[in-house]
Amino acid sequence: MRKIFLIVLLVGFVAYAGFNLAESVTPYVSIAEARATSNGVQVKGLRDKNFEPQQVGDKFNFSLQDEQTGETMRVVFDGMKPDQFDEAFHIVAVGKYEAADETFHAKKLLIKCPSKYEGQQPQG
Amino acid sequence: MTGNLLLGGGLAFALAAMTICFVQKIPSARLVKVTALTSAGFITAASLLLWILIFENNFGVEYVAAYSSTTMPTLYKISAFWAGQQGSFLLWLLIHAIAGAVLTFRRTQAAALGIYFLMQSLLVSLVLAKSPFAEHSAQVFEGIGLNPLLQDFWMAIHPPIIFVGYALLAVPFALSLGSLLTEAASRSWLEEARKWTLLAWSFLGAGIFIGGYWAYKVLGWGGYWGWDPVENSSLVPWLLAAVLLHLINLARKKPAVLAQAHVAATFTYALVIYGTFLTRSGILGDFSVHSFAGSNIGLAIALVNALVLIGGLTIILIKAKALPQGELYKSYSDASFIVLLSCLLIIFIATIVWIGMSMPLLSQIVGEAAAVDSDFYIKSTTPIALTLAALMIYTFAKFRQMLSIGGKVAHVGFLGMLIAIVISSQGETVTQELKPQAKALIAGHEVIYEGQVFQEDELQKFYVYNVDGETVRALTKLHGNGTDAAREPGILKSFGGDVYIAPHAQTIDSVQELMLTKGLFAMDGELGYTFEDAKIDYDDNNQPIQASAAITITDGEVEEVIHPLITVTPDGGASKSMEVFNGRRRVRLTGISGDLEKARLEILPTYERLSAMPVTVTISTKPYIWLLWLSVAAICAGTLLAIKK
Repeated sequence: MRKIFLIVLLVGFVAYAGFNLAESVTPYVSIAEARATSNGVQVKGLRDKNFEPQQVGDKFNFSLQDEQTGETMRVVFDGMKPDQFDEAFHIVAVGKYEAADETFHAKKLLIKCPSKYEGQQPQG
Repeated sequence: MTGNLLLGGGLAFALAAMTICFVQKIPSARLVKVTALTSAGFITAASLLLWILIFENNFGVEYVAAYSSTTMPTLYKISAFWAGQQGSFLLWLLIHAIAGAVLTFRRTQAAALGIYFLMQSLLVSLVLAKSPFAEHSAQVFEGIGLNPLLQDFWMAIHPPIIFVGYALLAVPFALSLGSLLTEAASRSWLEEARKWTLLAWSFLGAGIFIGGYWAYKVLGWGGYWGWDPVENSSLVPWLLAAVLLHLINLARKKPAVLAQAHVAATFTYALVIYGTFLTRSGILGDFSVHSFAGSNIGLAIALVNALVLIGGLTIILIKAKALPQGELYKSYSDASFIVLLSCLLIIFIATIVWIGMSMPLLSQIVGEAAAVDSDFYIKSTTPIALTLAALMIYTFAKFRQMLSIGGKVAHVGFLGMLIAIVISSQGETVTQELKPQAKALIAGHEVIYEGQVFQEDELQKFYVYNVDGETVRALTKLHGNGTDAAREPGILKSFGGDVYIAPHAQTIDSVQELMLTKGLFAMDGELGYTFEDAKIDYDDNNQPIQASAAITITDGEVEEVIHPLITVTPDGGASKSMEVFNGRRRVRLTGISGDLEKARLEILPTYERLSAMPVTVTISTKPYIWLLWLSVAAICAGTLLAIKK
């Protein structure tokens, strides 16, 4: 009886956690792969310097460039332009691609900076 | 160099203490004390030396150059000690070593001390592997200094408090294994383990809560908990230590629970090390906003982690037969049953957090890398936490008399925390652009933006708001060029809760860069600039310290000569912006060519102009959030109080 209780509890938990996990997990993909799916993913890329980032209301628009292929993708982030975005080296966008407007809709951005400190090399 | 020698001494005596405890049949208590104290003495001396190096501004030491600077106030020089990975490991080691010396005076079993000093030796080795005393050949006259976000009182005290928790969890681990090795069925270690675990749990909790309070007060994204791997990696051991605590208490009355208590002690300490591995090895580099650089110390920590987990479980398995058997509980209404069920629920929560934070690692093993978002944690843990709360209320009503005063305070605090988490998240949030003197209305509060106040010398500014007639100032720390280094929110506290105002970065449209050539005249549209001369100052060893330029500014009638400069820093150069020409311009020197023929000058918007520009703010209300701070304080205080039973 007691063993059964424990087993039911454990099986229930594993099923419950597994179900939630399957729903929330976002794979780490390239820009091309992100375009190919409508599921939630994480995309890492460089800041596309040919596209001027814009804050429109509470949406932030920019373009992400694949480090290997050079492929670019428009991203709209549901929030304000993050600090240090201009100094960003790598950007990880979490969200999903929507074919309707050919844009990646990001819920979260992680900004990676070469150095979080100020300073510029004197020339020469 | 001296630092590493001192650490070497610490290692040698930790190994000696370990050997004595393991090898001698009946170790001489005095010899153990002397070796343990000597090891702790060496480690303390190394720690003091690091502080001396920091206070001497000895930038030849890489760590000092990276985390300290001549201009930092005393508090942050003290805390620069643990600002980076190497120093925080040393801090952990220091606390571990001091606790170890104390243990030798508390009639601790020799085998337990042996395990404890084995851990101490491993910790010293980790510190030596990535030493805070490493020197570099670069000539440096100014350190980079502590990250402005970390220059805060709460962040200064947060790491030592967390590390007391981490370090002291080695004690129940060592006591558990020591008891198993000496006399497996014995329960005499439980009383001592109870005290140390309570102390560790209280400190670890306090450290986590202080981190949350700092995030709320300084980071300005509006919350206190972000489910970041660095946060999760301290939450999991805290949850498991709570399980350990309850199992230790239960095992004192029910011998059959002893096995579970042993398992909990090993798992708790293993997860302390695991959290360190996950956050310090750099493998989460792309998944965490905490930017710890990757390092090859990860493998070493992973090995220590494997040793703790596999070693601990192996000893438990070998001795399992000797452990007392029997009934865990009589009926489902038994207090033991409720406590065990609660422990299982806490383990469930810990498991969910563990899976979430380990996902980048786990998914790479089975296939493609993946991560979970914070919804996963909230969605999965909420029903379990609510069940736990219901169980606690039930237990409290029925078995209250079994708890000490401290136990009561801590449990009420825990319930209060859960309630406050729910209530404080029911506030409203708006994001909007505010021109100076413009008004925003939220949840019955009136917020007026009144502009900015600059303190150029101190490299900071304040956004000033008026909330319901009261002035609220939001501090922003500035880089040398006047851009934001750390933007803190402004908070109006009241009984009903907080009004939380977080300014966003201002979009500065008018930065202009002038390339100046010696002797030639250049215009920024309105004013003229002539680069007259430049010079570089060298130290005795012919290394550059700083570069400065003389530039004449004129509007056709008045002339002013300015002398902006660039200071050489480990990562290049740094320069401050300066208001010139009666506040009509703000300029910053950003570069001088090697032949001193060219200079680069940035023309920035004046402070007056910045203050007149609109700012985008996110304003939110946090109903009764003080209940959260009060509750977590009650958890920690109650736990400390429970030590003296």
